[in-house]
This record gives sequence, C-alpha cells and structure tokens, in this order.
Amino acid sequence: MEIANLPISPSQRAKLLSAGYTTLTSLSAVSPFQLARDLNIALQEASDILKVMPEFTRSESLHGGNAILKGAQTAWDMLSEEQMQKHITTGCENLDTILGGGIHCKEVTEVGGVPGIGKTQLGIQLAVNVQIPVEYGGLHGKAVYIDTEGSFMVERAHQIAEGCIMDMLDKFRHHQKVILACQEQMQPNSFLANIFYFRICSYTEQIAVINYLGKFLAEQKDVKIIIIDSVTFHFRQDFDDLARRTRVLSGMSLELMKLAKTYNLAVVLLNQVTTKFTEGSFQLTLALGDSWSHACTNRVILYWNGNDRHAYIDKSPSLRSASAPFSVTSKGIRNATSQCKRVRMM
Amino acid sequence: MMEDWHQPWLNGVELLEDSNRNKHFLPTGYEGIDVLLGGGLCEGQLTEIVGSSSSGKTQVCLYSAAHVADKHFGVVMFLDTCNSFSPKRIACMVDQLSSSFSGEAKERRLKRIMSNIFCHSIFDIFALLDVLHQLEFNLKHQVTSGHTKICLLIIDSISSLLTPVLGGKGSEGRLLMVSAGIILKKLANEHNVSVLVTNHMVGGEGGILKPALGESWKSIPHVRLQLTHDQGSNICNVSILKHTFMASGRTTKFVIHG
Repeated sequence: MEIANLPISPSQRAKLLSAGYTTLTSLSAVSPFQLARDLNIALQEASDILKVMPEFTRSESLHGGNAILKGAQTAWDMLSEEQMQKHITTGCENLDTILGGGIHCKEVTEVGGVPGIGKTQLGIQLAVNVQIPVEYGGLHGKAVYIDTEGSFMVERAHQIAEGCIMDMLDKFRHHQKVILACQEQMQPNSFLANIFYFRICSYTEQIAVINYLGKFLAEQKDVKIIIIDSVTFHFRQDFDDLARRTRVLSGMSLELMKLAKTYNLAVVLLNQVTTKFTEGSFQLTLALGDSWSHACTNRVILYWNGNDRHAYIDKSPSLRSASAPFSVTSKGIRNATSQCKRVRMM
Repeated sequence: MMEDWHQPWLNGVELLEDSNRNKHFLPTGYEGIDVLLGGGLCEGQLTEIVGSSSSGKTQVCLYSAAHVADKHFGVVMFLDTCNSFSPKRIACMVDQLSSSFSGEAKERRLKRIMSNIFCHSIFDIFALLDVLHQLEFNLKHQVTSGHTKICLLIIDSISSLLTPVLGGKGSEGRLLMVSAGIILKKLANEHNVSVLVTNHMVGGEGGILKPALGESWKSIPHVRLQLTHDQGSNICNVSILKHTFMASGRTTKFVIHG
C-alpha cells in the first residue's frame, strides 16, 4: 500500500511525492499543520488528505495493546463466548446429542437426504423450536424460511407449533410462575407470526433475497435462524455455463457465512441428492458437486436404515462422526420409537 | 538513489545463514506430516493443503495452531472464511497435549495457549488483501520478538474466497489471486512467518479430482500437500505434490484423534 493507492487527486499526489512523502509510514507521523506547510496548501486540504489514509497507519493504533490485527479475537475469548451460546433443539434428543446440543448459531449447517426422508419437516421444526422462550431453555428468536420448492405447508407448521407448545408445557408443568409469564407467547398463532416466509421462483430471486437479507436482518434483530429449502433446486436446471454456476454458488455461500457470523444466527441449508458415477458404480451424493460441498460448516445426511430414519454427521470441525435415529410424528421430529414405519408406495 | 528502491543483494552464504538462523521449522504436531516435511511447516514458505470435503484439512490447521502456540514459537493468526474455527475443538486438542498436567496448572496452560491464537473472520477477497496489508504494516512497525510475534498465519480456506472471482471473461480474478500470493510470500519471507492455506478439490477430466484454483495457482505455494481420508476411519493419507527440497510423491499416514 503506497501513496499511489490513496484516493486523492493527481495534483495532491504529485505535491506529496515532490515534497518527499513517498510511503505511508512517512505520512503516518506527520501532523496536518506540518503537512500543509510542506506542501504549501490549506490546512483543511492537508487534514482531508490525512483522513483518507487507512486507519491502521494512524499513530494511535500503533500504541494500542492488541495491535496485531484490528478485529481479531483470541481463541480464549471465543471459547468463553461459545460456552455461553445456546443451541437450537431439533426436538429429538438423540439428534441433539450428536449435534452437540442442537444446531449451532454462527455456523452454516447443510442437511441432505433422499426425497421423503423429512428434510422439510426438520426445517419447519427448527423454525418453530427457535422461538421457544428463554424460560423454557430456548432462544426466543424469530425464523426466516426461504422456500424454493413450495414445500412449506402452513397447516403442518401450525400442527408442529401446537405439538411443541404441548411438550414444553408438559415438561415444565411444575413451574407455575414460568407458565404464567409466557402465556401469550405460547400460542401456535404467535409462533407462526414469527416465521418470516419468502417464496422464491428462480435463481435470480434467490440471490436477490440473500443479498437483501443483510438489510432485513439489520432491522429485525431477533432472527436467530435462516432456513433455505432447498438451496440447490433452482441451480440444477437451466444453467448452461457451469463455471458461472460455481462462481454464483460460492459467492452465495460466502454471503451466508457472513450473515451467520455477523448476526449470530444459524443458517440451515436443505439439499437434494443425486446419483454420481464413481469407482464403477452409481452412488448417491448431494447435489451440486464438489465445489458446493465446501459451502457449509457442518453437514448432516438423513438416510433410511431399514424402516427407520437416521441422521449421520458427515462433516464437522468439532463434532465426531456419529449417527442417531429419529422419527417424524404428528407433533414433529421426535425420538425414534419402535413402531415407526415407512410407508412403501407399491 | 536506485539503491533505495530494491531489496539488498544477498549472496548464497548470507541466504544460507538467514535460513539457518531465522527460518525455523514449526512442527504441526502430527509426526507423520512433520517427518514428510523434513521438520514441519517452514517459516518463510507458503504451504498449501489440498483435499476434498471432510478430508481433515481444518483439523490439521487447528492442531498445528494448538501445537505451535503450545511450544512457544510465537503467536498464531487464524483467518477463517468458513466459520470452521472451533475453540471447543482446540481446547479438546490442548487437553490431549496436556495429559501430564492436572487441575489449575492445566487450566493456566489452556489459557496461555488459547490466548496466543488469534482468529479473524474474512468473507471476501478484498477484505483479505486489506488484512494482509495491515499485518504487513504492523509487523514492520512493531518491535516484537520471540513469543509475541506472529510465526504462523493460517487461511482456511483461501479457495472459498477466490472461487467467486475466478473464471469468466476478465482476468481480474487471477490478478487478485496472484496478488494475494505475492503478499503472502513477501510476508513469509521478510517477517519469518510460515503461511498455511487450504484449498479444495474439483472434478477434472475423466472424473478425477484435482485441486481447485487452476493452473496459475499451482506455482504460487512453495509446498503442496494432498490429504485423503477413508470414510469412517481416523486415518488420513498425506502425500507431497510439490516441495522445495523433498521428492514429490512421498506419502505417509497420520491419525486424527477424536
């Protein structure tokens, strides 16, 4: 970074260079008065030039204690913050255990599986569970649900909200004070009111919504989860230029990572599966290939094991590879029971 | 006057002395990798780890950070682009390294090590270039030495910052990639920092995976390692794709402890 890169007019630049100020360091230690005298310009102009210098070169920042990098945190501080983070429960205790307590905030989690396994059910369940009041052990946040396939059913969301409230009241039935305090929040309709729903019909709309979310989240400070169902649907067809698709998708994933980190929320991406021909046989893999597989922090794969639904942690920086059974009931996602049956369409 | 505008001429003997005195090897903590690299990550060099999804790249980065901070080599700066820096995982790794300590001593050790690892999130290539300029400026103007100076800079992963800008009709993407490479290598050489970056794999001809970022990137890192991981096991394979003084093609295995 040298004088040539500063956003100042060419005449100012020429004056700086001829007066001997060739590097940023020489400018960082000079006062506006001295600069005005050396360059033979007005005091205001000199202070304007000094204002456009990058912040890190100003003399004050050099004496700061933690001056290695502005904005960096030590791992120790992050550890204490992380320990105080609450997680979003999925409704199934086994699944919560392998996820380390639930879905983590500040991370992007991808959930993939064959059609019919329960991805949308999990998405709706998380949109409801994020709203559980703090007194009941939840985050009391709002949810953003971005629907690309039209699979969000309001009646089902109402049913899941009812089931969640019933279970919460059941669990805390001895804590009378708690129940009274949250009476109005614990209605299915108020749960539905806190889910912001976006219906997307093309990939340009999807990119637009994700770019718009930054502004939306700055206004709605309570949003704690963004669910995109499903993130890859509009990118699988109608894309002639695959290189452009890779660029657009990786830009989108960076934007989602930034939203998760900046606004301290969880991002859950639901993905479809496709077949891939590797090592002489067809195998099921997640859609959009290898370049998209790096777009998430954690990945959970839902699969059938006989007649039972299971979830498997495929990728995570801090969780072990493990799998857990779960089931989809009328109340939503719950622990697996032995009577869980898969409906086979003949 | 021309003397001021270029780096000083050095002869071979001076370079060797500088290399022996200033450019230490930072062990990653995984013995297999350290032996393969002839000691560890070399200060003054840009090392790249390539691997497909969940092959162990982030684990190697986290463990190297914990190990280097533990052995008092200096401060570790971790630039995170995919929110995969996990303080919990680092604490777990430090726990494994501190098996001979207990109680309060263990707690103090954890605090010391974790306080020497800095993490910053970066989500686009321009922010990365800004941060690198800032680091260069701070290193030039601060009198720090020994264990308060940055010795290891990790970028996980640089390919996710570069993929959105590479390709297409213009070559601005390649320009940004090469500029980042130049600044990283300058930082490494002038300030005795070891730089570690991670890259992912993409499909190539015939369905064989190859490292992302293309042909122009291949010549930028000094050392390139490829990681593969068998699903369901803890064992990772690492092989050398490119090295300054080791033969390429050498492979070894190492275990990632849970």
